[in-house]
Amino acid sequence: MEQLEYLFSTLLTKHVFMLFGTLAVLGAGAMIFSKNAVHSVIGFLLAMLSIAGAYLCLRAEFLAMAQILVYAGGIVVLFLFVVMLVEMTKYKERKIFQTQTPLALVVVLISAVTFLGVFLKTIFGKSAEAALTLKPELTADGFNAATHNVQAVSRGLFAEYLLPFEILSVILLVALVGAVVLAKSERG
Amino acid sequence: MVPMNQVLLISFLLFSIGVAGVLIRRNALIILMCVELMLNAANLNLIAFARHSGTVAGQAFALMIMGLAAAEVAIGLALVVALYRKKDTVQVDGINLLKG
Repeated sequence: MEQLEYLFSTLLTKHVFMLFGTLAVLGAGAMIFSKNAVHSVIGFLLAMLSIAGAYLCLRAEFLAMAQILVYAGGIVVLFLFVVMLVEMTKYKERKIFQTQTPLALVVVLISAVTFLGVFLKTIFGKSAEAALTLKPELTADGFNAATHNVQAVSRGLFAEYLLPFEILSVILLVALVGAVVLAKSERG
Repeated sequence: MVPMNQVLLISFLLFSIGVAGVLIRRNALIILMCVELMLNAANLNLIAFARHSGTVAGQAFALMIMGLAAAEVAIGLALVVALYRKKDTVQVDGINLLKG
């Protein structure tokens, strides 16, 4: 634990975060530009695992584990199943991009440049130079959000934000029933 | 210590790639994956600002977004499978029934 604390407090974290971020961006790029849908899913998996590593650098251990469980364990496998189910017959696509691709890329580039222009001072200016310092104040029942991550998150989830959590469970139930109804074959 | 500008930059890049993917790809499955990527970029921001403020609200909401994303994927994939049964394709520009 002592070594872990030391690792998180050193400058090394910055570079590890940048490494994970670059990997995530590379995975996302591979996801959109690969011809084979299975390769796209693998790029997506790389991006999700890298984002979990980035969460770890930001001291959100519980969320990093949840990210790996939900995305790498659940969603990616689901995507792979559907790719195998749907894509195998027409395995190679000759034309992977829409007809509107040049226009869409121009629009995305223009909005990206606009965003960067607006937020350039905020992201790269003096005000952003201060590191992400953890404030010393404690969350509910005295649990610090960084040193007792799971306890603090559970206090937030089950005490302060109980109503959104319950609404989320209803949404999940509705989604479950909806998925079953949609995927059911019509004859059955 | 991770500076805020790095987190914002990475999350901005991921979100842009997600938007571009939704706009340019024809495969409905990959469009769904790009939507997931955009949700993850938002999650990264939420966690960074939770870290910045020293409270836990951002992390709790990021967890809820994760659950919502799982529900969305379940519905989206069911729609794709149903579409494949009906139209025998998952390319979104092959689905133009409303054009008449």
